[in-house]
Order: sequence, then C-alpha cells, then structure tokens
Amino acid sequence: MAYEFRLLETGFHRAAFNMGLDEALLRSVAEGRSLPTLRFYGWAPPAVSIGYFQGLHEEVDAAACKTAGIDVVRRITGGGAVFHHHEVTYSIVLPLSHPLARPNILDSYRLLLGGIIEGLSILGIEAEFAPINDIIAGGKKISGNAQTRKLGCLLQHGTIILDVDVDRMFTVLKVPQEKTRGKLIEDIKSRVTSIKHCLPQSESMSFETLYATTIQSLKKGFAKALNLALVSSVPTEAELQLAEQLAQEKFSSQTWITLR
Amino acid sequence: MRLELVGKPEGCKLLRMTIDVEPPLVPSSRIRSLSIRGDFFAVPEEAFDELEHKLEGTTLEELGKKFDGLVRQNGLECLGITGSGLDEIIQKELHNGI
Repeated sequence: MAYEFRLLETGFHRAAFNMGLDEALLRSVAEGRSLPTLRFYGWAPPAVSIGYFQGLHEEVDAAACKTAGIDVVRRITGGGAVFHHHEVTYSIVLPLSHPLARPNILDSYRLLLGGIIEGLSILGIEAEFAPINDIIAGGKKISGNAQTRKLGCLLQHGTIILDVDVDRMFTVLKVPQEKTRGKLIEDIKSRVTSIKHCLPQSESMSFETLYATTIQSLKKGFAKALNLALVSSVPTEAELQLAEQLAQEKFSSQTWITLR
Repeated sequence: MRLELVGKPEGCKLLRMTIDVEPPLVPSSRIRSLSIRGDFFAVPEEAFDELEHKLEGTTLEELGKKFDGLVRQNGLECLGITGSGLDEIIQKELHNGI
C-alpha cells in the first residue's frame, strides 16, 4: 500500500515567505492537521539562502544583494549558502514516526533523495547520492539538500539545478579569503552541473517549460522511489497565515538574518 | 586575545571559529567565548547553540574532546563537524602562533 502524501505546487515567492511556508508545513504536519507533504516551489526575486550555522557577512555580500534586488534569508536547516535562481526547489515534511523517516540523518538523506535520483532518471539523467547531502550527475553536483528535525517531524528541502550562472552567483556570494575569485569560479564551474547541461535537448526550452517538465518528472520519481500516493492540494488558510506571519516576524527580521 | 580561524579538516565541512582566549596563546589557554560557524549540520540546531556556551571555560587543547562529549550528552547528531576537526584547526593556529 502506497503512503499518502499531500502534493503542493506553490509557485514563485519571496525568500522569507518560502522559508515561512516550509516551517508552517512542518508545524501543521507536527500537529497532525495535515498529511505528510511534498512541496515544489521557486523564488521570485532570486535569493540567497544561508545555512543556520553560517555567518551572514562571511558568506554573502548583503549590499550587492540589495542593489541587485536579490533576497537574503537564513534557513532553519544547516548546510551552505545557495543562490536560488534557475532551479526547482522542493521540501518534504513527515513525522519521525513515519516509516520513511529513518532515525539516522544520513540514512534519511539516502532514502529521500532516492525520489530526486529517480526523477532525474525519468528525465534521462543518471545521478547518484554523494554524501553528506548532495546528488551528483557525471561527477558534478546537480542537487544540494538540507534536513532538520523539529517538533517530532523531519523537514528536508533542497534544490535541483536547472541552469547555473556561476559568474552571477559570485557577485553576491563571498569568496573565501584563501581563494581568488577567478580560481573559485573555475573550481565551481568544474564541480557543478545542471539539467540544461546534462540534457542538450533542453537547451531550446524556456525556463518555464524546463521548470514544469522537471517537476513532472520529480513527482513521478518521488512516487516511484518512495511508494507515495500523491494527492494534489493547496496549503490551508491556517498554513498560509502562519507562513506570512513567520515571513514577517522571523525570516525577514534582522535578528534572525544576522543570527551568526 | 581573539582568534579568527578557518579550516576544512578531513571529513568536515568548512568550519569557522571565533575564539576569545586568555593570553598568552598556548594549548592550556582558557576559552572565554567562542562562536562556531560553517556549512555543517547539527540537529537539533538550538542544542548546538547551547553547546557553544558550555564550551566556554575549557582550554584550547581540550576543546575537541569536550565538544565530542557534549554532542553525546546533549543527543546532538552532527554531520560535517567533529571534535578532531576543531582540534586540527586549533593545532594549526597554535603551531603558527608559538
């Protein structure tokens, strides 16, 4: 018997709302008011998210972000800084008591990322799990992921890179002191790939078509790999209200953004 | 005195530490305060914040061992950060500083 999961496709939103909605879904599932949930979403305007333990000013040129109209947000999950632009982002929330929630975080990554690996395979891309939290295709990173556990639930969110502009990325991300900008950009270009790069036939696709096609494949991939029965839905009014509240009071607040 | 340390020890993510220590800079210097940052994972995150405070008062040479002990005691699951990784970064600084 398949596991019933709610499927949300919430479109493109500001960074603070996106993080607010992920936390609202976590709380809603934790309180038993919603089914375990798989959500797909995007970012408008583009954004930089940093991991819970990262120092804002060590990772991000906040002034450059402001000038370029790029949002900055701190996640509730660990991991590294991410420039969210041409990508599909997903989140998955389930109780820790659920059979798909493994006690060990690394085991959970391995299991849940099976959904993305299967989705990429449906698209025609052979990919594999690269511990701790990445998926690689042809030896290069195509997906980065982060997981936390709170209120008796597991939240994992991550990105599937559709297209990558490393030069633009490093107009807003800081370059570590020990590296030169040019060297770092070359390093990243050699270590990161994208769906557009892996699938030459997608070169001519618009971003909107590639985004929609990728989500279709990921839905099938999650359903197959994790044995999910996905029920298309929308966030509840209570979830949307809480997401707005968290976006304003937590994720947009300087206290939170500059926590470290 | 304040130490600003960065490193990526084997098996760890990029780790950054700001440590205020009582001078002089020797292995037995006591830590007045410290902040550990980086792209590692520690769950629950809030327990890591508390762990940082509990490391205050320990010596530089004991930091890694104390860190690992507190991770166990507080039921934290850490990925990409270890006591030996923190020690490696500190040892490098001590080697350079002495």
